[in-house]
Amino acid sequence: MAQIKNRLTPFFENISFDREDNELILNFGPQHPSAHGQLRLMLHLQQEMITKAHPDIGYLHRGMEKMAENMIYNEFMPTTDRMDYIASSSNNYGFALAVEKLIGLEVPRRAKVIRMMLLEINRLMSHLFWLATTALDIGAMTVFLFAFREREYLMDILEGYCGARLTHAAIRIGGVPLDIQDDFIVQLRNFLDKLPQNIKDYEDLLDTNRIWLMRMEEVGVIPTDMALSWGCTGPMLRASGVAWDIRKEEPYELYDEVEFNVPFSDKGDNFARYRIYMEEMRESAKILYQTIEMYEKCVINNETELMAHAPKYISAPKLDIMTQNYSLMQHFVLVTQGMRPPVGEVYVATESPKGELGFYINSQGGPYPYRLKLRAPSFWHTGILTDLLPGHYIPDVVAIIGTTNIVFGEVDR
Amino acid sequence: MAQHKVNYTQDGGLPVALTSIDKIVNWGRSNSLWALTYGLACCGIEMMASGASRFDFDRYGTIFRASPRQADLMIVAGTLTKKHAEFIKRLYDQMTEPRWVISMGSCANTGGMFNTYATVQGVDRVIPVDLYLPGCAPRPETLQYGVMLLQKKIRANKAGNAQKAKRLM
Amino acid sequence: MRAYKPKDDVQAKAYYTDRYYVAPQVPKSDVSEDAVFAADLEAIQAKFEVKEAYIQVEQMVVYINAHDIYGVLKFMRDELSYTQLSEMSAIDWLAKDDTFEIFYQMLSMTKRKRIRIKYFINNGEAVDSVEKLFRCADWSEREMFDMFGIQANNHPFMKRILMPYDWQGNPLLKTYPLEGDEFAAWYEVDKIYGKEARDVIGPEIRDTARVDRYDSERFARLGHEVPKGTEITGDEPANPQEYQEEGGVFLIKKYTKESSKIIDDPQR
Repeated sequence: MAQIKNRLTPFFENISFDREDNELILNFGPQHPSAHGQLRLMLHLQQEMITKAHPDIGYLHRGMEKMAENMIYNEFMPTTDRMDYIASSSNNYGFALAVEKLIGLEVPRRAKVIRMMLLEINRLMSHLFWLATTALDIGAMTVFLFAFREREYLMDILEGYCGARLTHAAIRIGGVPLDIQDDFIVQLRNFLDKLPQNIKDYEDLLDTNRIWLMRMEEVGVIPTDMALSWGCTGPMLRASGVAWDIRKEEPYELYDEVEFNVPFSDKGDNFARYRIYMEEMRESAKILYQTIEMYEKCVINNETELMAHAPKYISAPKLDIMTQNYSLMQHFVLVTQGMRPPVGEVYVATESPKGELGFYINSQGGPYPYRLKLRAPSFWHTGILTDLLPGHYIPDVVAIIGTTNIVFGEVDR
Repeated sequence: MAQHKVNYTQDGGLPVALTSIDKIVNWGRSNSLWALTYGLACCGIEMMASGASRFDFDRYGTIFRASPRQADLMIVAGTLTKKHAEFIKRLYDQMTEPRWVISMGSCANTGGMFNTYATVQGVDRVIPVDLYLPGCAPRPETLQYGVMLLQKKIRANKAGNAQKAKRLM
Repeated sequence: MRAYKPKDDVQAKAYYTDRYYVAPQVPKSDVSEDAVFAADLEAIQAKFEVKEAYIQVEQMVVYINAHDIYGVLKFMRDELSYTQLSEMSAIDWLAKDDTFEIFYQMLSMTKRKRIRIKYFINNGEAVDSVEKLFRCADWSEREMFDMFGIQANNHPFMKRILMPYDWQGNPLLKTYPLEGDEFAAWYEVDKIYGKEARDVIGPEIRDTARVDRYDSERFARLGHEVPKGTEITGDEPANPQEYQEEGGVFLIKKYTKESSKIIDDPQR
């Protein structure tokens, strides 16, 4: 077969620096090792100073909202895994909670406790991953190796629970499919007991490191009004002086029963964000200890329900399906046709590790959502680069992208 | 995937010197596969995990390089979208020969669960692929196994032969 | 006879619905039930025309006129402390009455309340950009333009954001099929190799259950692979896949289970 020539022409924006105003246009991405995914940045440079930044996204746009319109509700659950693939259970949870609010379900307490455990483990995993990759981008290889080591422990625990390392699909609409495995608590306790020392190790490496401080302090300062205007949420907003954590302010699940603090800073720079991630890991550990106690209380009180009881929407427990005719028929209809939530719409926001993860669902009474909008925090955390990068130098770009903690499965959806 | 066992001493009556060169060149090539950091989506995280402390990819001589000009293995880890397809071709063309491609994960193999307008249905519509790894996402062990199979494939080939074109070329 | 499929909505449909099935409603309650929402609604009503307002799932939904949107959001941001625009997008009602429904999800951090502002526009009309009020609307409106083709007036950079600039079609319209149209199917081939390569590369394989026994490159013949183009007779020798060649290769020893230490507990 004859060779087919491709039609791609070279990009000339990379070499158009020979203009009269001496402006260099630099193309960063879409495949850059420290862009945390497929971010493309067009940077207008005056010497080394960025004068204009133009982020170009969509290189990982896979059409999830369109998929949702063509899938029954339960079928969409594994797709949410692939949004923020660093912490997939938080996405599962956000979607499950939105549908539960839509149909007005109350989840059993034991399932709530297990869900909180999963959410906080995912938060820890996400923050550890953030620390690893950001440190690697800035040149701290040791922290990368340390943080991935701890992350693997957590992945082992979750793998024991749901069988997958990365894409868990561990939460169902109406509860959780399984009880936690026997050694879950033991392993989690082991991990949590070691975690403070691990976090201290990272901080010893970074907090007084001159290179780290120079790359982080006073770099990428986001003022409060800019953060609000760009729709920043999560650690990005808390670093800019607004102590807003949905877990605290609009508590869902059992977050109103646990004690934890919301760390925030009014500096708004990279270093503030770094400190907030580290403090949030400690707070997550605190929450996890309390959920372990809550779980043990559930065991003592003999609360064994894991799925809500709603025959119109949720399949009966496996034992009933296997033994009772009506449950089997119900299950068959729910699997083949899907549940039909009531007509209406709902927007539910949860605090994912990156920020406010919202699901807007418009249901017209059919088994498929009429419209599903995914509000992913990283989308606007990428958009803010437009206003944030001008005035910074080229080496700061990598540090700033690192601390915004963007994940492109979520940005492009 | 050529999978026959290699018997270097009986190789079509070619001179012994030539087979030795084959052997030593293939030994060098297969044990220093420098991979391009081509993490596109979720599989990219598992690719990073296999490069990190627990799975330690450096044992195989696989070091991740950020520049396609320094790499001879492209691990396409993640969903290739139509918007990105052009760039994978550009980067593939920039890699020096001989070059190999591992398609990691269901999305890169066939489009996977993303049967939508925006996803390229298999990376082999754009560039030729040597090895397909199943899984969503494949575990780091799968990737390591895949690299071992690729090493075996490289050792089985003639070093002097031009790369066998599979598709599109 | 071919089954009738509506052209104006090609998304998946329930294959069976009971004739007498009446879908239940998510309960709507009156705004007066919540003091904070009632006060907010009164303040908005004093200045702008409100068509409908109710509370659904703990959030207030307010329908306004399309031309009021900039004023309402400015009023809400400055006077009512709804300082964040969480999300905005459109809903496609073209099949029903040729309109789009636009929603803006607002958040007040001091009151801890969320309001959804909504309005309808006709097909082909543009919305007023609120990018001057909330910078995040810059990208949201671009996404809306990309996905629905709804233009925003006074927007600084009305270009596609998620799809490539040379893309054709608006993917989230109900008339756009999930698998994409003809243009989408050949986009990457046309762009990289040109139209004449379509025959060589072939159409996309979108049947997820398809197994081709003559496909020598994919998964159908795992363990019995043959080179591409080889005639497949059905009695190919098996190629068992091992980690290494027997006895190892040059300078590398074969790994055996006996000579290695196995760590069972990763949490050691």
